Amino acid sequence: MTPDATFLDSTELVLNMGPQHPSTHGVLRVILKLDGEKVLGTDCVLGYLHRGVEKIAENRTWAQFNPYVDRMDYVAAISNGLGYCLAVEKLLNLEVPGRAQAVRVILTELNRIGSHLLWLGTHALDIGAITPVFYCFREREATLNIFEKYCGARLTTHAFRVGGLQYETYEGFEKEVNEFCDMFLPKVDEYEELLTGNRIWIGRLKDVGILTGEECKEYGVTGPVLRAAGVKWDLRKAQPYSGYEKYEFDIPTCQNGDTYDRYMVRMQEMRQSVRIIRQAVASIPEGPIMGKAPKVIKPPVGEAYVSIEAPKGELGYYVVSDGSTQPYRVRVRPPSFINLQALDRMIAGGLVADVVAIIGTLDIVLGEVDR
Amino acid sequence: MAATPWDSELARELKERFGDRIIETSTYLGQNFIVTKPDAAIPVLEYLKLEADFDYLVDVTAVDWPKRPERFDLVYIVYSFARNERVRIKTYLPEGFKPESSVGVHLTANWLEREVYDMFGIQFAGHPDLRRILMPDEWQGHPLRKDYSILRQDQTWVRENLEIESGQ
Amino acid sequence: MSLLKKVFLVDLFQGLWVTFRNQHPKHLVTEQYPAERPMVAERYRGAPRLNINPENGETLCIACNLCALACPETLIVVTSERNEQTKRKELTTFTYDTSRCMFCGLCEDACPVDALELTQDFELASYTREGQIWDRQMLEEGPRPTPYKC
Repeated sequence: MTPDATFLDSTELVLNMGPQHPSTHGVLRVILKLDGEKVLGTDCVLGYLHRGVEKIAENRTWAQFNPYVDRMDYVAAISNGLGYCLAVEKLLNLEVPGRAQAVRVILTELNRIGSHLLWLGTHALDIGAITPVFYCFREREATLNIFEKYCGARLTTHAFRVGGLQYETYEGFEKEVNEFCDMFLPKVDEYEELLTGNRIWIGRLKDVGILTGEECKEYGVTGPVLRAAGVKWDLRKAQPYSGYEKYEFDIPTCQNGDTYDRYMVRMQEMRQSVRIIRQAVASIPEGPIMGKAPKVIKPPVGEAYVSIEAPKGELGYYVVSDGSTQPYRVRVRPPSFINLQALDRMIAGGLVADVVAIIGTLDIVLGEVDR
Repeated sequence: MAATPWDSELARELKERFGDRIIETSTYLGQNFIVTKPDAAIPVLEYLKLEADFDYLVDVTAVDWPKRPERFDLVYIVYSFARNERVRIKTYLPEGFKPESSVGVHLTANWLEREVYDMFGIQFAGHPDLRRILMPDEWQGHPLRKDYSILRQDQTWVRENLEIESGQ
Repeated sequence: MSLLKKVFLVDLFQGLWVTFRNQHPKHLVTEQYPAERPMVAERYRGAPRLNINPENGETLCIACNLCALACPETLIVVTSERNEQTKRKELTTFTYDTSRCMFCGLCEDACPVDALELTQDFELASYTREGQIWDRQMLEEGPRPTPYKC
């Protein structure tokens, strides 16, 4: 019998991954088109966590909407709050006192560390390393304790208000933050000891999901993914906000733009965050914590776009005011949503097992993708 | 404080090149924006990308003004890594107008335009895959339009698919 | 990686050594809740409480309705009555729907007399949806969770 050519041809297999899949980090559903082990294409089905945040904004006052932004990227709630407050302050043309700015920087950087730690733990878990997740959560707990002592909540913090801060720092805040920094740096080395040289880790991550700098720009991908592709761009340096220009820090970059490089960039970023926190704690100015914000926030007619460097990438708020006490439109530019779009390009030609690694390395939070 | 004219090399170049298809070049709160006629948005985006290094499309979004004859603002935000500069491009669209898709210029626009379609019902001509993205495919209505209130949401879909009365 | 390091699994043992070090009992961080009660921070935003004056047992609330206006979820309902003798508003009922509350603290910030406060109680579970809607009495007394017995 001569071998039948059609017999050897494989038919395309369509596999549904998620929305209840532990490695999709929430409720992402990916429809995979497979040729055996190889992925031919993907199609993301979003919206399982859609709560209509932008619509909610139109039915709240400017101040009332503030706690809702925490619920988008709930891993980095403080960054979300900072972006929103900066956007409304821009509309109001409001100056924030130096003390408030410094405290904002400290808390957002602590939050960046917390977010990266959660990413590291879950990403390692996806790849098959169980231990890092316990260590990462242990250290993340320390940052959450600082948030809890500062503002009374751990996750959805509502820490900042338009115009400055609601809460003064608690007694021993500086000492506790410094202690965290001292404790944390050796821990990063410890994670690196576990993973960086590990042959399984390298085998699973090297040359997986490559995204070059040009492709990143084409897809609008920002954050650590962009920096891992060799583009030295960070909004904290490019367009400093909240007093970031006062602090000295580097932008870590890598060259290959593969999953391993994105891991290396995030590890370096945690160290840089510690550097920023140390400088900020050492130089918190005295003074008021609230700017001249009106009691009832009523920005003049107009619009503004303000963006910050959130742990996931560029987080932007496009706010439109019609002169009333309620926002006319609040548009959130979610980094996770736009980074996720590059998933298709990153996976193309890879294996099924790489899908999990690539979703993990993009560091998406579905609360932010679906809003 | 009102928007002031945006005086720069780039604004002059754009005006020279596109003439009266550019309605306004202004600055508000230190942020520059261009208002173009609906058919000029894509050529302007293309020009900015190829000739002026605005190679990163930050966001595409819309704003609904139901009382205006041109009902929607369609807003593109672009950024240039080389110049470290951000520009907003705005067009005013009447209801039912189908603007050209910008996916040909920036790949990022694919999902962003799908979201604008989903939320506002603006159909983009020439979009490769114009489906709803956040709402379910069979959903009726476009949530971010101003005349779409929470009480007027698609009750039928909720009843049929979730087997609950809406509002629970 | 040099061949020798590869053969002797140096990278794997390096990682195992980290795990081994962390086994020391001084690294135990697990809290044995509910047997062990966690200490929440002083500013913790938990169960709402309507404060009363400890001297005469009267409510501190002046029924100004500011908390209800500040609440993003509009879950606070305050009703009051005008006292004909003192010509002042007096609180009659106060309802707080904890099932919709996101503990943002805006009501607490809005209160001009520190009557409404978010406290350190964090065990708010109940068996019914109606049980989540707290009336004035419940708000003044605070939640009474069943104590855990080993």
